Amino acid sequence: MSTPTDQEPMLRIEDLTVSYHRVPAIHHLSLTLDPGHCVGLFGPNGAGKSTLLKSIAGLLKPETGRILIEGITLEKAASLIAYLPQRESVDWDFPVTVRGLVEMGRYHQVGLLGSFSPRDQSAVEEALELFNLTPLARRQIKELSGGQQQRAFLARAWAQEADLYLLDEPFGGLDRNSATALASALKTLKERGKLLLVSHHSLAEAEPLFDTAILLNGELVACGPTQEALSPRNLECAYGTAIYSGNHHHSS
Amino acid sequence: MMNWFSHLLSSVVEPFDYAFMQRALLSCTLIGFTNGFLGTFIILRRQALLADALSHSLLPGLAVAAMIVGLSPEGLLLGGLIAALFVALGAQLMARNSRLKEETAVASLYIIAFALGIVLIRFAKVKVDLTHFLFGNILGVGNGDLWIAYGAAFLTLGTLVLFQRPLLLTLFDVAVAQASGVRVRWVETGLLVLTVLGLVASLQAVGVLLSLGLLIIPAATAYLLTDSFNRMLWGGAFLGMVCSVGGLFLSFFANIPSGPCIVMLMAVFLGLAYLFSPRYGVLSRLIRGHHYHEESLERWEGHQGHDHQIPEKE
Repeated sequence: MSTPTDQEPMLRIEDLTVSYHRVPAIHHLSLTLDPGHCVGLFGPNGAGKSTLLKSIAGLLKPETGRILIEGITLEKAASLIAYLPQRESVDWDFPVTVRGLVEMGRYHQVGLLGSFSPRDQSAVEEALELFNLTPLARRQIKELSGGQQQRAFLARAWAQEADLYLLDEPFGGLDRNSATALASALKTLKERGKLLLVSHHSLAEAEPLFDTAILLNGELVACGPTQEALSPRNLECAYGTAIYSGNHHHSS
Repeated sequence: MMNWFSHLLSSVVEPFDYAFMQRALLSCTLIGFTNGFLGTFIILRRQALLADALSHSLLPGLAVAAMIVGLSPEGLLLGGLIAALFVALGAQLMARNSRLKEETAVASLYIIAFALGIVLIRFAKVKVDLTHFLFGNILGVGNGDLWIAYGAAFLTLGTLVLFQRPLLLTLFDVAVAQASGVRVRWVETGLLVLTVLGLVASLQAVGVLLSLGLLIIPAATAYLLTDSFNRMLWGGAFLGMVCSVGGLFLSFFANIPSGPCIVMLMAVFLGLAYLFSPRYGVLSRLIRGHHYHEESLERWEGHQGHDHQIPEKE
Protein backbone atom coordinates (compact mmCIF):
# COMPACT_ATOMS: atom_id res chain seq x y z
CA MET A 1 0.00 0.00 0.00
CA SER A 2 2.83 2.34 0.74
CA THR A 3 3.72 4.80 -1.98
CA PRO A 4 7.41 4.78 -2.74
CA THR A 5 8.48 7.99 -0.96
CA ASP A 6 11.11 8.47 1.67
CA GLN A 7 8.40 9.66 4.09
CA GLU A 8 7.40 7.33 6.90
CA PRO A 9 3.99 5.70 6.42
CA MET A 10 1.38 6.49 9.03
CA LEU A 11 1.31 2.93 10.26
CA ARG A 12 4.15 0.45 9.89
CA ILE A 13 3.88 -3.03 11.33
CA GLU A 14 6.94 -5.23 11.12
CA ASP A 15 6.92 -8.95 11.80
CA LEU A 16 4.24 -8.72 14.50
CA THR A 17 3.38 -11.81 16.54
CA VAL A 18 0.93 -11.63 19.44
CA SER A 19 -0.05 -14.73 21.35
CA TYR A 20 -2.29 -15.70 24.22
CA HIS A 21 -0.83 -18.45 26.37
CA ARG A 22 1.63 -19.35 23.61
CA VAL A 23 -1.13 -19.73 20.99
CA PRO A 24 -0.45 -17.06 18.37
CA ALA A 25 -3.45 -14.94 17.43
CA ILE A 26 -1.39 -12.99 14.93
CA HIS A 27 1.60 -14.64 13.33
CA HIS A 28 4.51 -12.69 11.81
CA LEU A 29 2.44 -9.94 10.25
CA SER A 30 3.94 -7.02 8.35
CA LEU A 31 2.19 -4.19 6.56
CA THR A 32 2.23 -0.44 6.03
CA LEU A 33 -0.68 1.97 5.59
CA ASP A 34 -0.84 5.62 4.53
CA PRO A 35 -3.16 8.38 5.76
CA GLY A 36 -6.43 9.22 4.05
CA HIS A 37 -7.72 5.66 3.86
CA CYS A 38 -10.58 3.82 5.41
CA VAL A 39 -9.32 0.29 5.86
CA GLY A 40 -11.64 -2.65 6.50
CA LEU A 41 -10.35 -5.49 8.62
CA PHE A 42 -11.91 -8.80 7.60
CA GLY A 43 -11.57 -12.43 8.50
CA PRO A 44 -13.37 -15.27 10.25
CA ASN A 45 -13.90 -15.38 14.01
CA GLY A 46 -10.61 -15.79 15.82
CA ALA A 47 -8.65 -14.45 12.85
CA GLY A 48 -6.99 -11.85 15.08
CA LYS A 49 -8.94 -8.74 14.09
CA SER A 50 -9.46 -7.51 17.66
CA THR A 51 -5.96 -8.63 18.58
CA LEU A 52 -4.46 -6.56 15.79
CA LEU A 53 -6.44 -3.45 16.80
CA LYS A 54 -5.53 -3.87 20.47
CA SER A 55 -1.86 -4.33 19.60
CA ILE A 56 -1.81 -1.11 17.62
CA ALA A 57 -3.59 0.61 20.52
CA GLY A 58 -0.75 -0.57 22.75
CA LEU A 59 -3.00 -2.76 24.91
CA LEU A 60 -1.19 -6.00 24.10
CA LYS A 61 2.51 -6.66 24.21
CA PRO A 62 3.90 -8.06 20.97
CA GLU A 63 5.95 -11.21 21.20
CA THR A 64 7.97 -10.37 18.12
CA GLY A 65 8.18 -7.38 15.85
CA ARG A 66 7.22 -3.76 16.33
CA ILE A 67 4.65 -1.14 15.44
CA LEU A 68 5.53 2.41 14.42
CA ILE A 69 3.18 5.36 14.04
CA GLU A 70 4.58 8.03 11.74
CA GLY A 71 7.98 6.55 12.44
CA ILE A 72 7.78 6.76 16.25
CA THR A 73 7.12 4.09 18.82
CA LEU A 74 3.70 3.46 20.33
CA GLU A 75 4.53 4.84 23.77
CA LYS A 76 5.42 8.22 22.32
CA ALA A 77 2.61 8.20 19.77
CA ALA A 78 -0.22 7.48 22.22
CA SER A 79 -1.97 10.79 21.66
CA LEU A 80 -2.05 10.20 17.90
CA ILE A 81 -4.05 7.01 18.32
CA ALA A 82 -7.75 6.86 19.12
CA TYR A 83 -9.03 3.46 20.12
CA LEU A 84 -12.80 3.34 20.13
CA PRO A 85 -14.12 1.00 22.78
CA GLN A 86 -16.51 -1.82 22.05
CA ARG A 87 -20.01 -1.03 23.23
CA GLU A 88 -19.94 -3.59 26.01
CA SER A 89 -16.86 -2.13 27.67
CA VAL A 90 -18.45 1.28 28.25
CA ASP A 91 -20.38 2.09 31.41
CA TRP A 92 -23.26 4.02 29.84
CA ASP A 93 -24.52 5.17 33.26
CA PHE A 94 -21.30 7.09 33.85
CA PRO A 95 -22.03 10.66 34.96
CA VAL A 96 -20.83 12.36 31.82
CA THR A 97 -22.56 14.37 29.11
CA VAL A 98 -21.70 14.32 25.42
CA ARG A 99 -19.74 17.54 25.86
CA GLY A 100 -17.91 16.09 28.86
CA LEU A 101 -16.99 13.05 26.80
CA VAL A 102 -15.60 15.16 23.98
CA GLU A 103 -13.69 17.31 26.50
CA MET A 104 -11.92 14.15 27.71
CA GLY A 105 -10.24 14.12 24.30
CA ARG A 106 -8.44 17.35 25.23
CA TYR A 107 -7.05 16.15 28.57
CA HIS A 108 -3.77 15.19 26.95
CA GLN A 109 -3.27 18.73 25.63
CA VAL A 110 -4.59 20.48 28.73
CA GLY A 111 -2.49 18.50 31.21
CA LEU A 112 -3.22 17.64 34.82
CA LEU A 113 -4.53 20.91 36.20
CA GLY A 114 -4.54 23.34 33.26
CA SER A 115 -7.81 24.97 32.38
CA PHE A 116 -9.36 24.82 28.94
CA SER A 117 -7.93 27.54 26.69
CA PRO A 118 -10.03 29.15 23.94
CA ARG A 119 -8.25 26.84 21.52
CA ASP A 120 -9.30 23.77 23.51
CA GLN A 121 -12.84 25.08 23.71
CA SER A 122 -13.02 25.63 19.99
CA ALA A 123 -11.60 22.16 19.31
CA VAL A 124 -14.46 20.73 21.39
CA GLU A 125 -17.06 22.86 19.61
CA GLU A 126 -15.64 21.91 16.24
CA ALA A 127 -15.77 18.21 17.06
CA LEU A 128 -19.38 18.46 18.24
CA GLU A 129 -20.30 20.38 15.11
CA LEU A 130 -18.51 18.00 12.75
CA PHE A 131 -20.45 14.99 14.01
CA ASN A 132 -23.81 16.79 14.33
CA LEU A 133 -23.79 16.51 18.10
CA THR A 134 -24.17 20.17 19.04
CA PRO A 135 -27.90 19.91 19.83
CA LEU A 136 -27.20 16.80 21.93
CA ALA A 137 -24.22 18.19 23.82
CA ARG A 138 -25.99 18.39 27.18
CA ARG A 139 -27.33 14.84 27.07
CA GLN A 140 -26.06 12.10 29.34
CA ILE A 141 -24.46 9.48 27.08
CA LYS A 142 -27.08 6.82 27.73
CA GLU A 143 -29.71 9.12 26.26
CA LEU A 144 -28.30 8.71 22.76
CA SER A 145 -29.06 6.19 20.05
CA GLY A 146 -26.39 3.63 19.17
CA GLY A 147 -25.26 5.61 16.15
CA GLN A 148 -25.10 8.85 18.11
CA GLN A 149 -23.00 7.13 20.77
CA GLN A 150 -20.50 6.00 18.13
CA ARG A 151 -20.34 9.53 16.76
CA ALA A 152 -19.78 10.92 20.25
CA PHE A 153 -16.70 8.74 20.59
CA LEU A 154 -15.51 9.79 17.13
CA ALA A 155 -15.94 13.41 18.22
CA ARG A 156 -13.81 12.74 21.27
CA ALA A 157 -11.10 11.27 19.04
CA TRP A 158 -11.34 14.31 16.77
CA ALA A 159 -10.93 16.68 19.73
CA GLN A 160 -7.87 14.64 20.72
CA GLU A 161 -6.41 15.43 17.25
CA ALA A 162 -5.76 11.77 16.66
CA ASP A 163 -4.47 10.69 13.25
CA LEU A 164 -5.14 6.96 13.51
CA TYR A 165 -8.59 5.68 14.41
CA LEU A 166 -9.05 2.09 15.55
CA LEU A 167 -12.64 0.86 15.58
CA ASP A 168 -13.59 -2.62 16.74
CA GLU A 169 -16.88 -3.73 15.13
CA PRO A 170 -18.49 -0.27 15.25
CA PHE A 171 -21.38 -1.38 13.03
CA GLY A 172 -22.44 -4.23 15.29
CA GLY A 173 -26.00 -3.74 16.53
CA LEU A 174 -26.65 -0.54 14.59
CA ASP A 175 -29.87 -0.17 12.60
CA ARG A 176 -29.71 0.88 8.98
CA ASN A 177 -30.11 4.63 9.53
CA SER A 178 -27.46 4.72 12.25
CA ALA A 179 -25.09 2.62 10.15
CA THR A 180 -25.46 5.01 7.22
CA ALA A 181 -24.82 8.01 9.46
CA LEU A 182 -21.75 6.34 10.96
CA ALA A 183 -20.44 5.44 7.50
CA SER A 184 -20.71 9.05 6.36
CA ALA A 185 -18.95 10.20 9.54
CA LEU A 186 -16.10 7.79 8.78
CA LYS A 187 -15.97 9.08 5.23
CA THR A 188 -15.62 12.63 6.53
CA LEU A 189 -12.64 11.56 8.65
CA LYS A 190 -11.03 9.81 5.72
CA GLU A 191 -11.43 12.88 3.52
CA ARG A 192 -9.69 14.94 6.20
CA GLY A 193 -6.61 12.77 5.91
CA LYS A 194 -7.12 10.42 8.84
CA LEU A 195 -6.30 6.73 8.71
CA LEU A 196 -9.14 4.52 9.87
CA LEU A 197 -8.82 0.85 10.70
CA VAL A 198 -12.23 -0.76 11.12
CA SER A 199 -12.91 -4.39 11.92
CA HIS A 200 -16.03 -5.65 10.27
CA HIS A 201 -17.84 -8.96 10.36
CA SER A 202 -19.81 -8.72 7.15
CA LEU A 203 -18.23 -8.85 3.72
CA ALA A 204 -21.47 -7.91 1.98
CA GLU A 205 -21.56 -4.26 3.05
CA ALA A 206 -17.84 -3.83 2.65
CA GLU A 207 -17.42 -2.35 -0.77
CA PRO A 208 -18.50 1.33 -0.71
CA LEU A 209 -16.98 2.48 2.57
CA PHE A 210 -13.60 0.75 2.57
CA ASP A 211 -11.13 1.64 -0.16
CA THR A 212 -8.59 -0.75 1.33
CA ALA A 213 -9.06 -4.13 2.94
CA ILE A 214 -6.97 -6.32 5.18
CA LEU A 215 -7.87 -10.00 5.17
CA LEU A 216 -6.71 -11.95 8.18
CA ASN A 217 -6.71 -15.56 9.22
CA GLY A 218 -4.15 -15.55 11.97
CA GLU A 219 -1.79 -14.79 9.11
CA LEU A 220 -2.02 -11.83 6.80
CA VAL A 221 -3.84 -13.20 3.75
CA ALA A 222 -4.08 -9.97 1.79
CA CYS A 223 -3.74 -6.21 2.16
CA GLY A 224 -4.62 -3.90 -0.70
CA PRO A 225 -7.43 -2.25 -2.64
CA THR A 226 -10.68 -3.79 -1.48
CA GLN A 227 -11.57 -5.48 -4.77
CA GLU A 228 -8.21 -7.20 -5.09
CA ALA A 229 -7.79 -8.06 -1.44
CA LEU A 230 -11.20 -9.65 -1.22
CA SER A 231 -10.80 -11.69 -4.41
CA PRO A 232 -12.47 -15.12 -4.43
CA ARG A 233 -9.11 -16.84 -4.14
CA ASN A 234 -8.12 -14.79 -1.08
CA LEU A 235 -11.49 -15.33 0.55
CA GLU A 236 -11.09 -19.05 -0.03
CA CYS A 237 -7.73 -18.82 1.74
CA ALA A 238 -9.17 -16.89 4.69
CA TYR A 239 -12.47 -18.61 5.20
CA GLY A 240 -12.23 -21.91 3.31
CA THR A 241 -9.35 -23.56 5.11
CA ALA A 242 -8.78 -23.78 8.81
CA ILE A 243 -5.18 -22.69 8.66
CA TYR A 244 -3.56 -20.70 5.95
CA SER A 245 0.17 -21.10 5.94
CA GLY A 246 0.89 -17.70 4.56
CA ASN A 247 3.78 -16.07 2.82
CA HIS A 248 5.87 -15.36 5.87
CA HIS A 249 9.09 -16.92 7.02
CA HIS A 250 10.44 -17.47 10.50
CA SER A 251 13.55 -15.54 11.21
CA SER A 252 14.74 -17.89 13.92
CA MET B 1 -38.79 36.48 72.62
CA MET B 2 -35.13 37.39 72.74
CA ASN B 3 -34.84 35.32 75.81
CA TRP B 4 -36.24 32.27 74.09
CA PHE B 5 -33.92 32.72 71.12
CA SER B 6 -30.77 33.10 73.16
CA HIS B 7 -31.80 30.04 75.11
CA LEU B 8 -32.06 28.01 71.89
CA LEU B 9 -28.74 29.36 70.66
CA SER B 10 -26.94 28.51 73.84
CA SER B 11 -28.30 24.98 73.84
CA VAL B 12 -27.11 24.46 70.26
CA VAL B 13 -23.67 25.78 71.13
CA GLU B 14 -23.59 23.92 74.41
CA PRO B 15 -21.85 20.79 73.09
CA PHE B 16 -18.84 22.88 72.09
CA ASP B 17 -18.09 23.72 75.66
CA TYR B 18 -16.52 20.31 75.84
CA ALA B 19 -13.10 19.78 74.28
CA PHE B 20 -13.92 16.17 73.37
CA MET B 21 -16.95 17.43 71.48
CA GLN B 22 -14.86 19.95 69.55
CA ARG B 23 -12.43 17.24 68.54
CA ALA B 24 -15.30 14.95 67.58
CA LEU B 25 -16.84 17.64 65.42
CA LEU B 26 -13.57 18.44 63.68
CA SER B 27 -12.76 14.83 62.91
CA CYS B 28 -16.33 14.22 61.72
CA THR B 29 -16.11 17.12 59.29
CA LEU B 30 -12.77 15.97 57.92
CA ILE B 31 -13.63 12.30 57.63
CA GLY B 32 -17.10 12.91 56.23
CA PHE B 33 -15.79 15.22 53.54
CA THR B 34 -12.77 13.13 52.55
CA ASN B 35 -14.61 9.82 52.46
CA GLY B 36 -17.51 11.38 50.56
CA PHE B 37 -15.06 12.70 47.97
CA LEU B 38 -13.21 9.41 47.61
CA GLY B 39 -16.54 7.59 47.39
CA THR B 40 -17.23 8.82 43.86
CA PHE B 41 -14.12 7.08 42.58
CA ILE B 42 -14.93 3.86 44.43
CA ILE B 43 -18.50 3.74 43.17
CA LEU B 44 -17.64 4.47 39.56
CA ARG B 45 -14.86 1.91 39.69
CA ARG B 46 -17.44 -0.52 41.15
CA GLN B 47 -15.23 -1.29 44.11
CA ALA B 48 -17.70 -0.87 46.96
CA LEU B 49 -17.31 -4.51 47.89
CA LEU B 50 -13.54 -4.35 47.62
CA ALA B 51 -13.55 -1.46 50.09
CA ASP B 52 -15.68 -3.58 52.40
CA ALA B 53 -13.17 -6.43 52.17
CA LEU B 54 -10.25 -4.09 52.79
CA SER B 55 -11.90 -2.63 55.86
CA HIS B 56 -11.91 -6.07 57.47
CA SER B 57 -8.37 -6.86 56.50
CA LEU B 58 -7.07 -4.07 58.75
CA LEU B 59 -7.53 -6.28 61.78
CA PRO B 60 -4.31 -8.35 61.85
CA GLY B 61 -2.25 -5.18 61.41
CA LEU B 62 -4.04 -3.56 64.32
CA ALA B 63 -3.46 -6.64 66.45
CA VAL B 64 0.26 -6.75 65.69
CA ALA B 65 0.57 -3.03 66.35
CA ALA B 66 -1.27 -3.40 69.65
CA MET B 67 1.08 -6.25 70.59
CA ILE B 68 4.18 -4.18 69.87
CA VAL B 69 3.36 -0.59 70.75
CA GLY B 70 0.00 -0.76 72.49
CA LEU B 71 -2.94 1.40 71.45
CA SER B 72 -1.12 4.47 70.13
CA PRO B 73 -2.86 5.96 67.09
CA GLU B 74 0.34 6.10 65.01
CA GLY B 75 1.08 2.43 65.60
CA LEU B 76 -2.46 1.38 64.74
CA LEU B 77 -2.39 3.51 61.60
CA LEU B 78 0.82 1.93 60.40
CA GLY B 79 -0.26 -1.60 61.30
CA GLY B 80 -3.65 -1.31 59.64
CA LEU B 81 -2.15 0.33 56.57
CA ILE B 82 0.39 -2.43 56.09
CA ALA B 83 -2.13 -5.23 56.61
CA ALA B 84 -4.71 -3.81 54.21
CA LEU B 85 -2.13 -2.98 51.56
CA PHE B 86 -0.79 -6.49 51.89
CA VAL B 87 -4.26 -7.86 51.11
CA ALA B 88 -5.05 -5.33 48.38
CA LEU B 89 -1.78 -5.55 46.49
CA GLY B 90 -1.45 -9.27 47.16
CA ALA B 91 -4.85 -9.83 45.59
CA GLN B 92 -3.87 -7.77 42.55
CA LEU B 93 -0.71 -9.78 42.18
CA MET B 94 -2.57 -13.07 42.52
CA ALA B 95 -5.14 -12.00 39.94
CA ARG B 96 -2.49 -10.95 37.43
CA ASN B 97 -0.34 -14.05 37.79
CA SER B 98 -2.87 -16.84 38.08
CA ARG B 99 -6.24 -17.75 36.67
CA LEU B 100 -7.98 -16.52 39.83
CA LYS B 101 -10.08 -13.42 39.22
CA GLU B 102 -9.51 -10.38 41.40
CA GLU B 103 -12.70 -10.65 43.46
CA THR B 104 -11.91 -14.27 44.30
CA ALA B 105 -8.40 -13.37 45.36
CA VAL B 106 -9.60 -10.44 47.45
CA ALA B 107 -12.32 -12.45 49.18
CA SER B 108 -9.93 -15.27 50.04
CA LEU B 109 -7.19 -13.01 51.35
CA TYR B 110 -9.40 -10.76 53.44
CA ILE B 111 -11.12 -13.64 55.19
CA ILE B 112 -7.73 -15.18 55.93
CA ALA B 113 -6.49 -11.82 57.21
CA PHE B 114 -9.56 -11.31 59.40
CA ALA B 115 -9.20 -14.76 60.95
CA LEU B 116 -5.51 -14.16 61.51
CA GLY B 117 -6.39 -10.88 63.18
CA ILE B 118 -8.76 -12.53 65.63
CA VAL B 119 -6.12 -15.11 66.51
CA LEU B 120 -3.49 -12.40 67.01
CA ILE B 121 -5.74 -10.23 69.19
CA ARG B 122 -5.55 -12.97 71.82
CA PHE B 123 -1.85 -12.28 72.19
CA ALA B 124 -2.14 -8.49 72.36
CA LYS B 125 -0.96 -6.89 75.60
CA VAL B 126 -4.00 -4.67 75.78
CA LYS B 127 -7.62 -5.53 75.33
CA VAL B 128 -8.81 -4.77 71.79
CA ASP B 129 -12.54 -4.47 71.54
CA LEU B 130 -14.07 -5.73 68.28
CA THR B 131 -17.07 -3.41 68.69
CA HIS B 132 -14.67 -0.50 68.87
CA PHE B 133 -13.03 -1.71 65.66
CA LEU B 134 -16.38 -1.80 63.86
CA PHE B 135 -18.01 1.38 65.23
CA GLY B 136 -15.20 3.49 66.62
CA ASN B 137 -15.53 5.90 69.50
CA ILE B 138 -15.94 9.40 68.24
CA LEU B 139 -16.06 11.00 71.68
CA GLY B 140 -12.72 9.39 72.49
CA VAL B 141 -10.88 11.06 69.61
CA GLY B 142 -7.53 12.33 70.84
CA ASN B 143 -5.20 14.94 69.40
CA GLY B 144 -3.06 12.26 67.75
CA ASP B 145 -6.10 10.88 65.93
CA LEU B 146 -6.99 14.36 64.83
CA TRP B 147 -3.56 14.95 63.33
CA ILE B 148 -3.82 11.68 61.44
CA ALA B 149 -7.22 12.69 60.11
CA TYR B 150 -5.77 16.05 58.96
CA GLY B 151 -2.86 14.34 57.23
CA ALA B 152 -4.98 11.70 55.53
CA ALA B 153 -7.53 14.26 54.35
CA PHE B 154 -4.81 16.51 52.96
CA LEU B 155 -3.04 13.67 51.16
CA THR B 156 -6.21 12.08 49.80
CA LEU B 157 -7.88 15.25 48.57
CA GLY B 158 -4.63 16.63 47.16
CA THR B 159 -3.85 13.48 45.20
CA LEU B 160 -7.38 13.04 43.89
CA VAL B 161 -7.68 16.64 42.76
CA LEU B 162 -4.24 16.60 41.13
CA PHE B 163 -4.86 13.36 39.22
CA GLN B 164 -8.54 13.89 38.60
CA ARG B 165 -8.23 13.77 34.81
CA PRO B 166 -6.27 10.53 34.42
CA LEU B 167 -8.51 9.04 37.10
CA LEU B 168 -11.62 10.05 35.22
CA LEU B 169 -10.30 8.54 31.98
CA THR B 170 -9.44 5.30 33.75
CA LEU B 171 -12.76 5.03 35.56
CA PHE B 172 -14.64 5.59 32.34
CA ASP B 173 -12.85 3.04 30.21
CA VAL B 174 -9.63 1.33 31.24
CA ALA B 175 -8.67 0.16 27.75
CA VAL B 176 -9.20 3.54 26.13
CA ALA B 177 -7.33 5.31 28.92
CA GLN B 178 -4.41 2.93 28.52
CA ALA B 179 -4.42 3.39 24.76
CA SER B 180 -4.26 7.16 25.20
CA GLY B 181 -1.16 6.85 27.34
CA VAL B 182 -2.51 6.87 30.92
CA ARG B 183 -0.53 4.63 33.26
CA VAL B 184 -3.59 2.70 34.30
CA ARG B 185 -1.92 0.41 36.80
CA TRP B 186 -0.46 3.30 38.75
CA VAL B 187 -3.83 4.97 38.84
CA GLU B 188 -5.56 1.81 40.06
CA THR B 189 -2.95 1.08 42.70
CA GLY B 190 -2.96 4.68 43.87
CA LEU B 191 -6.70 4.60 44.32
CA LEU B 192 -6.40 1.43 46.34
CA VAL B 193 -3.78 2.95 48.64
CA LEU B 194 -5.94 6.04 49.22
CA THR B 195 -8.95 3.87 50.05
CA VAL B 196 -6.96 2.01 52.68
CA LEU B 197 -5.59 5.27 54.05
CA GLY B 198 -9.11 6.68 54.32
CA LEU B 199 -10.33 3.60 56.17
CA VAL B 200 -7.44 3.56 58.61
CA ALA B 201 -7.53 7.29 59.30
CA SER B 202 -11.17 7.16 60.30
CA LEU B 203 -10.81 4.01 62.40
CA GLN B 204 -10.63 5.62 65.83
CA ALA B 205 -13.42 8.08 65.22
CA VAL B 206 -16.02 6.08 63.37
CA GLY B 207 -14.79 2.51 63.02
CA VAL B 208 -14.56 0.54 59.79
CA LEU B 209 -18.30 0.05 59.24
CA LEU B 210 -19.22 3.71 59.46
CA SER B 211 -16.12 4.68 57.52
CA LEU B 212 -17.34 2.41 54.77
CA GLY B 213 -20.79 3.96 55.00
CA LEU B 214 -19.31 7.43 54.60
CA LEU B 215 -17.32 6.16 51.66
CA ILE B 216 -20.29 4.71 49.79
CA ILE B 217 -23.64 6.25 50.75
CA PRO B 218 -23.09 10.01 50.18
CA ALA B 219 -21.45 9.44 46.78
CA ALA B 220 -24.21 6.99 45.84
CA THR B 221 -26.78 9.64 46.74
CA ALA B 222 -24.99 12.24 44.63
CA TYR B 223 -24.77 9.73 41.76
CA LEU B 224 -28.57 9.50 41.74
CA LEU B 225 -28.86 13.27 41.51
CA THR B 226 -26.48 14.40 38.80
CA ASP B 227 -24.95 13.63 35.40
CA SER B 228 -21.87 15.69 36.10
CA PHE B 229 -18.75 14.00 37.43
CA ASN B 230 -17.68 17.16 39.23
CA ARG B 231 -20.99 17.66 40.96
CA MET B 232 -21.01 14.05 42.05
CA LEU B 233 -17.50 14.47 43.45
CA TRP B 234 -18.08 17.64 45.47
CA GLY B 235 -21.72 16.85 46.19
CA GLY B 236 -20.77 13.51 47.73
CA ALA B 237 -18.11 15.20 49.84
CA PHE B 238 -20.48 17.92 51.01
CA LEU B 239 -23.22 15.44 51.84
CA GLY B 240 -20.79 13.24 53.75
CA MET B 241 -19.71 16.23 55.81
CA VAL B 242 -23.25 17.46 56.48
CA CYS B 243 -24.47 14.02 57.52
CA SER B 244 -21.52 13.44 59.86
CA VAL B 245 -21.93 16.77 61.60
CA GLY B 246 -25.73 16.55 61.66
CA GLY B 247 -25.59 12.99 62.96
CA LEU B 248 -23.21 14.01 65.71
CA PHE B 249 -25.59 16.77 66.88
CA LEU B 250 -28.57 14.45 66.76
CA SER B 251 -26.73 11.89 68.82
CA PHE B 252 -25.81 14.52 71.42
CA PHE B 253 -29.35 15.77 71.88
CA ALA B 254 -31.19 12.47 71.50
CA ASN B 255 -28.56 10.64 73.52
CA ILE B 256 -28.08 7.78 71.06
CA PRO B 257 -24.76 6.45 69.70
CA SER B 258 -23.30 8.76 67.05
CA GLY B 259 -22.32 6.15 64.45
CA PRO B 260 -25.81 4.78 63.81
CA CYS B 261 -27.15 8.34 63.93
CA ILE B 262 -24.86 9.40 61.09
CA VAL B 263 -25.75 6.33 59.04
CA MET B 264 -29.47 6.87 59.54
CA LEU B 265 -29.17 10.47 58.42
CA MET B 266 -27.34 9.35 55.28
CA ALA B 267 -30.03 6.73 54.74
CA VAL B 268 -32.70 9.44 54.72
CA PHE B 269 -30.90 11.33 51.95
CA LEU B 270 -30.25 8.15 49.96
CA GLY B 271 -33.92 7.20 50.24
CA LEU B 272 -35.08 10.64 49.16
CA ALA B 273 -32.75 10.62 46.14
CA TYR B 274 -33.79 7.08 45.23
CA LEU B 275 -37.46 8.07 45.19
CA PHE B 276 -37.49 11.72 44.17
CA SER B 277 -34.33 12.47 42.17
CA PRO B 278 -35.61 14.66 39.31
CA ARG B 279 -33.96 12.50 36.65
CA TYR B 280 -33.34 9.10 38.17
CA GLY B 281 -35.83 8.86 41.03
CA VAL B 282 -38.10 5.83 40.97
CA LEU B 283 -41.21 7.91 41.63
CA SER B 284 -40.21 10.89 39.49
CA ARG B 285 -39.80 8.62 36.49
CA LEU B 286 -43.38 7.43 36.93
CA ILE B 287 -44.89 10.89 36.78
CA ARG B 288 -42.64 12.29 34.07
CA GLY B 289 -43.86 12.21 30.49
CA HIS B 290 -40.84 13.75 28.92
CA HIS B 291 -39.23 12.93 25.62
CA TYR B 292 -36.70 14.52 23.34
CA HIS B 293 -37.44 16.00 19.95
CA GLU B 294 -33.99 15.92 18.39
CA GLU B 295 -34.34 12.28 17.39
CA SER B 296 -37.22 12.84 15.03
CA LEU B 297 -35.51 15.97 13.74
CA GLU B 298 -32.37 14.00 13.06
CA ARG B 299 -34.21 11.25 11.22
CA TRP B 300 -35.87 13.88 9.11
CA GLU B 301 -32.65 15.69 8.29
CA GLY B 302 -30.84 12.43 7.78
CA HIS B 303 -33.18 11.56 4.97
CA GLN B 304 -32.61 14.89 3.31
CA GLY B 305 -28.86 14.45 3.34
CA HIS B 306 -27.13 13.88 0.03
CA ASP B 307 -24.80 11.16 1.26
CA HIS B 308 -27.20 8.31 0.95
CA GLN B 309 -30.51 7.28 -0.49
CA ILE B 310 -33.71 6.80 1.40
CA PRO B 311 -34.18 3.05 1.53
CA GLU B 312 -36.82 2.17 -1.04
CA LYS B 313 -39.79 0.13 -0.02
CA GLU B 314 -40.12 -2.97 -2.13
